[in-house]
Amino acid sequence: MRLTCVTGRKSQAAFRRAVILSAAVLAVCSTRAHAAGAPIPHGTLELIAEKQWIAAGHPFNLALRFELEKGWHIYWVNPGDSGEPPRVTWDLPAGIKAGAIEWPAPRRLGTPTIVDYGYEDAVTLVVPMHADATLSSQNAAQIAANVKVLVCREMCIPGKAQVSLTLPVKLQPPPASAQSTQFFTEARKAWPRPVPASWKFAIAQTSDSFVLTANLGHKITDVTFFPLAESQVSNASPQTLVPTATGFTLTLRKSDQLLKPIARLKGILVLSGEQPYSIDVPIAKPGGAAGAISSKQMRDQSIPE
Amino acid sequence: MKRSTFYLMLSAMIPIAIILCAATLLLAAAKVGDPAPAFTATASDGKTYKLGDYHGKYVVLEWHNNGCPYVGKQYNSGNMQKLQKQWTSKGVVWFTILSSAPGKQGFVTASDENAYIAKMQAAPTAALLDPSGEIGHLYDAKTSPQMVVINPQGVVIYDGAIDDKPTTDLADVPGATNYVSLALEQSMAGKSVATPATRPYGCSVKYSDSSR
Repeated sequence: MRLTCVTGRKSQAAFRRAVILSAAVLAVCSTRAHAAGAPIPHGTLELIAEKQWIAAGHPFNLALRFELEKGWHIYWVNPGDSGEPPRVTWDLPAGIKAGAIEWPAPRRLGTPTIVDYGYEDAVTLVVPMHADATLSSQNAAQIAANVKVLVCREMCIPGKAQVSLTLPVKLQPPPASAQSTQFFTEARKAWPRPVPASWKFAIAQTSDSFVLTANLGHKITDVTFFPLAESQVSNASPQTLVPTATGFTLTLRKSDQLLKPIARLKGILVLSGEQPYSIDVPIAKPGGAAGAISSKQMRDQSIPE
Repeated sequence: MKRSTFYLMLSAMIPIAIILCAATLLLAAAKVGDPAPAFTATASDGKTYKLGDYHGKYVVLEWHNNGCPYVGKQYNSGNMQKLQKQWTSKGVVWFTILSSAPGKQGFVTASDENAYIAKMQAAPTAALLDPSGEIGHLYDAKTSPQMVVINPQGVVIYDGAIDDKPTTDLADVPGATNYVSLALEQSMAGKSVATPATRPYGCSVKYSDSSR
């Protein structure tokens, strides 16, 4: 930040404001432990810690923050028809272990015939970390994430970056820091959450489709399903929604690569104007009694628009 | 019928016809176990190739885009050329297919492609120019390098990825299980193909924006 030296009453007030502003900026920067962004193709990557230090025996969170130029995207854990998700390998001191990435709900990207799942503009991938109770407070923890990421727009560019942090290790838990809490709270808002216990789901199947029936107690007019695993649902096929009085049915075409029956369908359900939800629904066997819904029953359940 | 009514009906029919065509294309996309859709194409060598002429032979289709890093992994490691030489020497017909639309990444003229083949020492039977995306859509090709294997009876026996390492890392080539070689080996040995369909990882095929 550049501060111009100024004189006079009016400018003194302006100078004071500038000092307060820059102090505030510094405060914001210092409460969030993070390294400067490393370049990735058409963007930057940052490693951010939620708290100011690691406490032995207490879990903590790190975040990989991807910021991309307009129009560029990276991929969800299931990238869809093309692309691949970012992959992280960690360099960690003994006693610290990385958990699995918390993937926020993605968006459908691509063309009518090739559909991918990913994130445009920016995304925060939070990684829960484990710290052993035996961790010594003598040494600061040096943490590095080696990230491979495919960044695409019309074309795809593979990138690699190493982002690192050094965090002190103490015996006392760190205080909650307002700024980092807000940053991580924002990131958590995009996570799929468990569905309310009152919501009921069932999946029936035909030779070429899964039919997801949802009973949520209210009508739903806009739904997108994101399959967690590859090669189960045909990504580019339209997802046919039939709103019902208490929810909806959603017909998902099976992937041509689905050669063996699957017992459950896991994924993220995004309903219009609501938070994303995680679902994990057993699939009724074709023609099986339990949960299988004939197309006539489906028609009966649906109500005319 | 009044002329204006006729035109009105005609204009109403055009979008319906377009939708029907699109639906037909969608339904016609090849699936494992189905007869391989017929096509005729001009290759970079200036000759015309017809799939039907190769009945009785194994045919491999390889979707290609020279700017795609997943394709680069296979060619810069020499793996694709090795596969082409290995299998064409056993009588397999190998078509590299270029479905990038003009102006898109991977679009090449015949002479560009011939120069690429010479430089990379590639050895396909032919490199088929498909700038309209017609063959790509016929097979519902999603990515480069998507691979399709057709048996001598003209049936699709494999459709998907080239191998089981969906990355752009050259280092992943040596340890990878190559699905194309597996399909050809198993089928030639009279066995059924154990892994007949996989997610065809790679770059999206750069079709024309208006081709669908």
